[in-house]
Amino acid sequence: MATTTVHNADHDHHDHKPHGIGRWLFATNHKDIGTMYLVFACIMFFVGGTMALIIRTELFQPGLQFVDPQFFNSMTTMHALVMIFGAVMPAWTGLANWMIPMQVGAPDMALPRLNNFSFWILPFAFTLLLATLFVPGGAPAGGWTMYPPLMLQTGDAFPFVIFAIHLMGASSILGAINVVVTVMNMRAPGVGLLNMPLFVWTWLITAYLLIATMPVLAGGVTMLLTDHFFGTTFFAASGGGDPVMYQHIFWFFGHPEVYILILPAFGIISEIIPTFSRKPLFGYGAMVYATASIAFLSFIVWAHHMFTVGMPLAGQLFFMLSTMLIAIPTGVKVFNWTATMWRGSLTFEPPMLFALSFLFLFTIGGFSGLMLAIVPADFQYQDTYFVVAHFHYVLVPGAVFAIMAGVYYWLPKWTGKMYDMRLATWHFWISTIGVNILFFPQHFLGLAGMPRRIPDYATQFADWNMVSSIGAFIFGFSQLMFPYIIWKCVRGGEKVGSRVWEGAHGLEWELPSPAPYHSWETPPSLEVIARGAEH
Amino acid sequence: MSSDPRTSYDATRRARVRRTAIVLGLVALGFYLGFIALSVSRAQ
Repeated sequence: MATTTVHNADHDHHDHKPHGIGRWLFATNHKDIGTMYLVFACIMFFVGGTMALIIRTELFQPGLQFVDPQFFNSMTTMHALVMIFGAVMPAWTGLANWMIPMQVGAPDMALPRLNNFSFWILPFAFTLLLATLFVPGGAPAGGWTMYPPLMLQTGDAFPFVIFAIHLMGASSILGAINVVVTVMNMRAPGVGLLNMPLFVWTWLITAYLLIATMPVLAGGVTMLLTDHFFGTTFFAASGGGDPVMYQHIFWFFGHPEVYILILPAFGIISEIIPTFSRKPLFGYGAMVYATASIAFLSFIVWAHHMFTVGMPLAGQLFFMLSTMLIAIPTGVKVFNWTATMWRGSLTFEPPMLFALSFLFLFTIGGFSGLMLAIVPADFQYQDTYFVVAHFHYVLVPGAVFAIMAGVYYWLPKWTGKMYDMRLATWHFWISTIGVNILFFPQHFLGLAGMPRRIPDYATQFADWNMVSSIGAFIFGFSQLMFPYIIWKCVRGGEKVGSRVWEGAHGLEWELPSPAPYHSWETPPSLEVIARGAEH
Repeated sequence: MSSDPRTSYDATRRARVRRTAIVLGLVALGFYLGFIALSVSRAQ
């Protein structure tokens, strides 16, 4: 096993941690806030996962079995909102909170009280959102994109959703400002921009994306609100407005949002693969520029989500070609990760297993994305299960697996203990097999013409739907292993040393394990920085 | 005024942090209001 172990005394006896509920309510420590974000994300992952299992249970066979169509549509809508805004984004923010200060040699995030505020907005936002399940008219059911005029037909839930979206947006923007300010101003002397860990780089770029796009979503839903309650007609053709304009506004946010969900994953994979290959990352500079290129391109491709609403040929060509361009920097990344492993001394601990699974399965999601970028093909694929398969390959074995890889990579640093590797390896294999049984058949369903967001379907689609649902149960229930493994690790486990993994590199591994409550109160010396970078 | 270089460094950094945060907040506000203004102009 390629880990290092120690049996020395605890390092945290001078930490002066606050105690009781006040520690969490008034938390300003980046590690405490990071933990709260991660716990919140985990809870939301299971809430959203339960909704997914309701969807897959209903689709197990043709006909209406368990839920009525309105509730089914609410489930698809809420599943997406919860997973995107409640699970994946807070998980990234949690990891950023935990790791960025430790990786850049800062004592904490630059704006700790703002950090507390950013987190505590979230439980209120999701209470509002989930409360819509119990209001007259039910939860929103028009899809997570909230297109008018369908969204304007939502019952009493409408203002709840709009307010919840505003709160989530405010939380994300404040969190992103904190990340940028921290990285730009709090780096220890000697930690230059071009020797920061890739996770910090990808998060910095993600934060800029958040600052530029979340307000656009907020603007869009504010206009929906005024259309609904104050008689404006931004998106109503009858009053001179344009419903298609909402789609432009939404996707100007929505496409960069996809990269907000995946760029930090690129950062984590760029940390893990070199560690378990025992080689430096191949092409560090190219990785940074590729990330920046992807972020830039994400702003000029939004209308590929809207080819079928109709647009001039020049527009179709522009958005098709700009979308295809994204394959170049993404390819640079995939080849660099592969080149990092080339002739490396590879070992396959759980973080590396999840990273490798990410590499293969995210690439499948990328390829189906290229297929969707081709305008005439997209006219066939639009609103079919092929699209569902595509974005779930990007987001589940992409973003979610990278989050799990990150947690398995840094958990021993956080707790000072090693988790049950055998169980984590089982978690990996069941997840990887389950996720493919779940989503791969959806490509076939989509290509055969099965529309998305329907509670019932023609009998010709029955077989692959059943397979997909079986995969959902395998994947869904196997995720219960994840919190169990973490809980077991926190409760007890073999103590680990500061450099948990043999090939680990970076400043966080220069700190003792568990990381002290207050770290880098004195900035690391140049010698420590050099030592951290060496490994 | 303290002549301790560390205190002076901290004060400078605090000012930089505040300035960066305010600028980024204004950028976010600009995007929010800008897109609403764009929509108003398109709807007329």
